[in-house]
Amino acid sequence: MRRTRAVEAWTIEPLNRFVVESGARFTLLMTPAGQVLAQHGFTRAVDVMASAALGAAIFSSTGEIARMLGEREFRALNHQGRQYGVFLGALDTDRGKLLVLVVYGSDSSLGLVQLFFDDLAEQLVVAAPVPEVRRGPILAADFERELNESLASLFGR
Amino acid sequence: MSLVNFTTREITCKIVYYGPGRSGKTTNLQYIYGRVPDDRRGRMVSLATETERTLFFDFLPLELGTISGFTTRFHLYTVPGQVYYNSTRKLVLQGADGVVFVADSQVRQLDENIESLQNLQSNLIEMDDDMRSMPLVLQYNKQDLPPQLILRPLELDEALNFWGLPSFASDALRGVGVFETLKAISEQVLRKLSEEASQ
Repeated sequence: MRRTRAVEAWTIEPLNRFVVESGARFTLLMTPAGQVLAQHGFTRAVDVMASAALGAAIFSSTGEIARMLGEREFRALNHQGRQYGVFLGALDTDRGKLLVLVVYGSDSSLGLVQLFFDDLAEQLVVAAPVPEVRRGPILAADFERELNESLASLFGR
Repeated sequence: MSLVNFTTREITCKIVYYGPGRSGKTTNLQYIYGRVPDDRRGRMVSLATETERTLFFDFLPLELGTISGFTTRFHLYTVPGQVYYNSTRKLVLQGADGVVFVADSQVRQLDENIESLQNLQSNLIEMDDDMRSMPLVLQYNKQDLPPQLILRPLELDEALNFWGLPSFASDALRGVGVFETLKAISEQVLRKLSEEASQ
C-alpha cells in the first residue's frame, strides 16, 4: 500500500488530504534546493531524491526564463504526458518557500490537482511552524571520527 | 542550505563540484557512484548533451550513515563547466553547503581554471555568499598526465589557492584523491553546520 512519509510531521495531514482528494499517484513536498520534507507514493528513497532534484531544477530553470521575460516567477507548471502528468507548484510559508511536485494519472486531471493544490497550499501555510532557533552545537566535538568511519566504510576502506 | 531535522534526527547537505569544462567533475561523481555500495547511494542523474557534456547537472545522493546520532545524507551535484552555461551554474549553486573546485592541471588550462574560480566567486557574491565563508576545497585533477603537460600541485596552489584552502592532487578517472577530497569537504561542511548552530 502506498503511504505518506514525512521528515517534518506538520506536513502529513495536509498532504494525506490532498492525495485522497486529488487522486495524485505521487506527491513530493520539498525545499527549492530539492530537499524533501514529505512524500507520498514512492516506494524507493532513491527515486524520491532524484525526483526532488529534478523537480527543483525544473522550477529553478523556468523561474530564470520568467525573470528574463520580466515575470515574477511561474507559480505553477504542468507537463502533460500520455499516461501521466506532472504538476509543480510553489507556496510561501513561515518555513520558507516550498515546492510541491505531483504526478497524476488518467484517474485524475490537471484541473482536479490544481483545485486541491490551492487547498493544500492554504493548509500548509497555516500548519507551517516558524523555524526553531537551536542553541548549542548539533554534532559532538569528535564527529570527525564517526564521519571518517562512515566514509571509509562507504568506500570499502 | 542544509536541512537539519531534530525530531527525526536527520541532516541533509548539498555539495557542489565546480570547475572549468572537462576538468573531471562528472568523473568524480562517477567514481564515487562506482565505489559506493548500492544501499548507500541513490541513482545518479545526469542531464547531459548527446556528447556527454554536462548540460544542467549531475546528481548523486549519498547515505553517510549516523554521525552524532543524526542520519546524514549528502547530495552531490556538478555544474556544467562550459563558460556559456553560467545561468544554470548559478541555479545549481543555490543552497550549496560546500563546494569542491575541480581544476584541470594541464598547463594550457590554467586561464580556464582562473576564469572559473573568478566565476565561482562572482556567483557566490550574487547569492550574498563568499568563497571565504563557504566551505571549499580544491582538487587538482589529471595529475597522472605526463609532467611536461601539467602544473604540479605547488604551482597550482600558487596560481589558484589564495586562501590556503585544503587542496588535493587527483586522478579522478582512477579514483586517486577522490575520497580524500570528499572527506575534506564533508568535514568542513559538517563543522560549519555545527558551529553555526552553536552561535
